[in-house]
Amino acid sequence: MPEMTVTQASTHESAMLEHARVAAALKARRQRNTRLTNVVAYSVLIVIALIMLYPFYWTLITSFEPTGNIYEAKLLPKGFSLRNYAEIFSGTTVPFWRLIVNSLVICTLGVTLTVTLAALAAYPLSKMHFPGRDLIFYAILVLMVLPNESGLIVNYITTIKLGLLQQTNPVVDAIRQYMAVVLPGLASIVGLFLLRQAYLSVPQELIEAARIDGAPELTIWRRVLLPLALPTIVAFSILEFVAYWNSFLWARIMLPDKNMMPLSAGLLELSGTFSTNSRAVMAGAVITIIPILIVFMLGQKYFMKGLEGAVKG
Amino acid sequence: MTTTPRRVSRREQQRQGGTGAKVTIRTTLIAYAFMLPFLALLVLYHTWPVFFGTYLAFTKYNIISPPQWVGLENFQTLLKDEQFWSGLRNSLKYILVVPVIQILSILLALLVNRPLKGIGFFRTAYYVPVVTSFAVVGLIWTWMYQQGGPVNAVLMTLGLMNEDRSLLNNPATALTAVMFVTLWKGVGYYMVLYLAGLQSIAPELEEAAMIDGATRMQVFWNITLPGLRPTILVCSLLSTISAIKVFEEIYVMTQGGPAGSTYSALFFTYSRAFVDFQYGLAAAAGLIIAVISIIFGLINFKLTRGGKTDA
Repeated sequence: MPEMTVTQASTHESAMLEHARVAAALKARRQRNTRLTNVVAYSVLIVIALIMLYPFYWTLITSFEPTGNIYEAKLLPKGFSLRNYAEIFSGTTVPFWRLIVNSLVICTLGVTLTVTLAALAAYPLSKMHFPGRDLIFYAILVLMVLPNESGLIVNYITTIKLGLLQQTNPVVDAIRQYMAVVLPGLASIVGLFLLRQAYLSVPQELIEAARIDGAPELTIWRRVLLPLALPTIVAFSILEFVAYWNSFLWARIMLPDKNMMPLSAGLLELSGTFSTNSRAVMAGAVITIIPILIVFMLGQKYFMKGLEGAVKG
Repeated sequence: MTTTPRRVSRREQQRQGGTGAKVTIRTTLIAYAFMLPFLALLVLYHTWPVFFGTYLAFTKYNIISPPQWVGLENFQTLLKDEQFWSGLRNSLKYILVVPVIQILSILLALLVNRPLKGIGFFRTAYYVPVVTSFAVVGLIWTWMYQQGGPVNAVLMTLGLMNEDRSLLNNPATALTAVMFVTLWKGVGYYMVLYLAGLQSIAPELEEAAMIDGATRMQVFWNITLPGLRPTILVCSLLSTISAIKVFEEIYVMTQGGPAGSTYSALFFTYSRAFVDFQYGLAAAAGLIIAVISIIFGLINFKLTRGGKTDA
């Protein structure tokens, strides 16, 4: 308050200057604060990134080491050799390339069929009128909420009863075993919801117009709905690729023939038989992660969107 | 919400008068043809297990001979089985992960929601464990937890551990070690969901509060957190249920050991079915786990007030 009398005496300009000075000081303080919080934020971000990524990095560099104390914490590899990578392809009863082929077949089959089935089934549920539509929709909703603890057990029994594990001739056996791995996952409720949601945003007039032109429903689905739902289809395909590539439990329970196992399942098999050379298993782990990282990086935008959609329903 | 477009177009159809009985039957047939493969597999692999699994819980069954009805015998056996109880206890202990993982992922989401340079890299980095298989993640952490390994090195440097011994081989630490892996692998997943939740909160609300002189903390407690409530419900529900059903990390890392310290309820079910071939007993255990998950689901629903936002 005493300053007021001083400022009263001062000229208009100096009052303006005073204002500017205070404003500048405030701005500087705010900037200093922002800088400070940014420094803190970045430090926290970096520490967490280290915790998230170091285990992968550590596995990678250890897989390149030919010898030495295997479990030691380190920042750089103590030596470099591809011996462990060579060993994983030759040193076991199940060759690693076979696991890679199995994974590729299972993923291709699984992703193609899952996406196609969901894309087909979502069409009537979003764009057609027929008796029983609401009933089917709510039945599927209930299934999604119901916990399915017996899934593993009953699906195992079903697969055996369907004769998918019978042994007759090598080629047919292989096809049957691949089907045994993918069949239980093919009806994806989440996928159905995602695609139904995508179709709902397609204008009904577009479909009616095609119908009036006499286009068969399958053509409308292929020419109108699929192109317009493409972003969702891509996102869902990526989600399914990751899921099929990473699944191991069902395959390990199901498959009598270790030669038919996908990579993730086979890796656990290797870690059992390779107990003397963990570095080779580490090499296998690195090879198993790489395709997922590539797909994830390429489709990251779609992937995150798909995931958000999946939970928002 | 979703029924509105249907009603409108059905009314339109009636007005057009173009939907004769013949067309309806044709449309119905086409509709079911589109859904047939999906529905067939859905019934076989999703619906059938619910019913047949429930039935199996009251039988003795080994696949070779037909199921034999035994009434409540399986459940009586389970109540007396100390292994089942210890599995159940460990699964319930596992719920401790839920609040930790939820709080951390909310904080992480707030952190990566800031418009900082290079934030995309951090979001991606935190998500890498999520997209990696438990087969790989479990193996990596089994190696990391070895005696003389990186985890021990860090813990000893920080003075949190005074003796270098494998954390997974020690009954006192094994469960916590496995829990940490669950946390590490899952936090990025929930972070992304919370990020989506944060972005659905209207920024005008927060700005208006700031202009009215609210502190950051006040904005967080009174606007951000209530706005996140639907996401919190979904996330805590998902993580509670997956905690009760914890299995894959245990399967890869400890196989229930050492001394049963990581033996979970679902691990019990798995070993009864696929090691001992007692499918009826396993189904009964599965049914109990299912009922417990439903109860915890309802508790979650209550605690988050049905995920309703006040605003």
